[in-house]
Amino acid sequence: MNSREDVVITGWGCVSPLGGDSPTSWAALMRAESARGDITCIPVEGCRVTQGAEAHLPELKGVSKKEVSRLSRASRLAIPAARQAMADARILDGNGRSVFSRLELSISTTACGMEHGEAFLRDLWSGNPRHLACKISRYPAQQQIGDLQQHLGFSGPAMIVSNACASGANAIGHAADLLRAGFADIVLAGGFEALCELVFCGFDSLQALDPDLCKPFDLHRRGLMLGEGAAFLVMETSAHANKRGAQIKGRLAGYGHTTDTHHITQPDPTGAPLEGAIQRALQQAGLKPSEIGYLNAHGTATVFNDGAEAAAFARVFAEDLATVRISSTKAAIGHTLGAAGTLEAVFALECLRTGDIPPQINTSDPLPELARCLARPGDKLSKPAVLSVNLGFGGSNAALVFTAA
Amino acid sequence: MKNPVSILSFGISCPGGTSPEALKDFSKWPFESVPESGGRRLHEVARINLSAEPVNRWRLKPRLRRASPLSHHLIEAIAQTLEARPDINPERVGVVGAFFFGCLEYSVRFYKGLSNDGRRFASPILFPETVVNTPLSHVVAELGIGGPVYSQVGDTSCWVSALRTACLWIENGDIDHVIVAGAEEFEPHLLAAFHSLRWFTAGHPFRIAEGAGAVLIGKKTPAAIADITRIADGYTFRTRDQARIAGIECLGEFDMSAPVMDTATSWKSQTAASLLSNRQLVNLSQGLRHDAFTASSAWNIILAARQRHYPRLIVPHWGLSQNIAAVEISRVANI
Repeated sequence: MNSREDVVITGWGCVSPLGGDSPTSWAALMRAESARGDITCIPVEGCRVTQGAEAHLPELKGVSKKEVSRLSRASRLAIPAARQAMADARILDGNGRSVFSRLELSISTTACGMEHGEAFLRDLWSGNPRHLACKISRYPAQQQIGDLQQHLGFSGPAMIVSNACASGANAIGHAADLLRAGFADIVLAGGFEALCELVFCGFDSLQALDPDLCKPFDLHRRGLMLGEGAAFLVMETSAHANKRGAQIKGRLAGYGHTTDTHHITQPDPTGAPLEGAIQRALQQAGLKPSEIGYLNAHGTATVFNDGAEAAAFARVFAEDLATVRISSTKAAIGHTLGAAGTLEAVFALECLRTGDIPPQINTSDPLPELARCLARPGDKLSKPAVLSVNLGFGGSNAALVFTAA
Repeated sequence: MKNPVSILSFGISCPGGTSPEALKDFSKWPFESVPESGGRRLHEVARINLSAEPVNRWRLKPRLRRASPLSHHLIEAIAQTLEARPDINPERVGVVGAFFFGCLEYSVRFYKGLSNDGRRFASPILFPETVVNTPLSHVVAELGIGGPVYSQVGDTSCWVSALRTACLWIENGDIDHVIVAGAEEFEPHLLAAFHSLRWFTAGHPFRIAEGAGAVLIGKKTPAAIADITRIADGYTFRTRDQARIAGIECLGEFDMSAPVMDTATSWKSQTAASLLSNRQLVNLSQGLRHDAFTASSAWNIILAARQRHYPRLIVPHWGLSQNIAAVEISRVANI
């Protein structure tokens, strides 16, 4: 079975801190904008860092105010992103409902509807018993799945992966696995993550947030910028897409994932497990490293992550490293954790669609091994494939190879 | 799933011990009375004593000294699956973990700390242990497991989603053997959550429990404990009325003459009773039912796989909040 021809992408959509849809986010990214600003949606007073990349919640057309008030912030990010992807793939009917009554979901998130879990605990501790059921019932990830299914009109199996920051790439890779194995003909794959107090304070406690700009692959990098967002892809077998006359907009050619057992929060400094994930993805795609034109790096701008990534890239690409263009879009949209892999996949697909490469922003003094390959404004894609990689707490590594339609 | 898979070994860590015999009689499980937050009501809860043998063997492992109780439950169950099959190289084994509540104890403690002491004093030691995939990361590092690793979340039925992922990896030839594990830890705030959701019902009492269960699966082989021959997943609901319809659709995927294991707890007991009134209902455990959610899912599969009476048995997984799934277990020919 030729995996390069089997798994195709027929639509995508996203909500990011740079915009409420994919075209707006991509345009801002190409203008080298950053969404960094004061965090207002959650309480952060007292934290060492109080800035991040907050998304503007898109209006949910046709949904009552009462219904909107019931949705978690995560659902308010996920529903419009999924709706865009489904509209792009032309699998919504005139009423904005799925044309498939059963549609498999492959989903990633790490914090679910955490703000409701936090509210439940606060109310319990303060002796306020009102609406406890509403709060706790909106917290788990399966409730955001229920929101997606209810608002977009479908049901079916849902796999919710929570492999920390690599989850998004895992969700897309899992969707491809389902399609290749014949478990499904079409899958809605995506990830969502809303800013929440617990996670923000957690990264702040680790002193992993840069008090200034997030500077991926810079010698003076000091940490990440947290963000939020959601992104979804409609993925199908090529036979299914052709049968329904869908426009094929990209292909997932390869997926690789490995587990790094070096440390719970730090990657193996040699980058060997990440290298393994990239090699597997390239092998499945049947591509050589020299055929990769753009690499959307994980690039959190923490000391350990970027060092390990640079080491892995240097070994995978060897003498071809100078010919690949690399950037971390987290400098612009922040680290969106469970949504990172899916948002970055959307940017990789936009790169293939437009031929434009998102520039690396904020990095003025790059790591020597990557100095020649960090993307600059105006860089164009000159090779047939793009690579997107993610690493996560707990040692999750994942790599996705995309090719054009 | 396209092809059946075989259950090759299993592991259990439950309040009744680590033997599969413990799953047959809940009345022998120790329990304690725990007050709901605010001390208004007492609930009986079955917990694992982590300082007792044999589960205390992980306490001094450097990576697990500060790990959550859930990590300890999980590693005991997964270690047993590997110890039972020394012929299988852990380097060539994948793991899919299923979790309903995750590392609840440390999450609550971390949030309480930053709420009481101020955000600047949030604990950098606790935070990494609150992340959902941390327990499985500890386990694979400690046991030398080298295959793919996923942590999945959802309600009780999430264990079936994890099983489906494992079958997918085997089907695609990614790996020959996969451990499917479910694990939960008890945290007292769960009682208030369950009470507010009306999951404690007078008509269908049950005890909350904690622990882990794991099964090692591989391609179908005669040298197996049992086979998994069919999976039905993705029957979702938002209301209790919808749950009844989802249950009908899910169980309709299976042969109506096959016996069904009685696994429902809480308000789902009523739904299950009405749906299964004309089916052969099989209860493989004695005593007041205990529920450790995804861990119970694994325990029910182990019970169904080990029983010798029925050639086929349908094991429903009644998620309490979103989804219903079911698995068909077939006794292998050589038993």
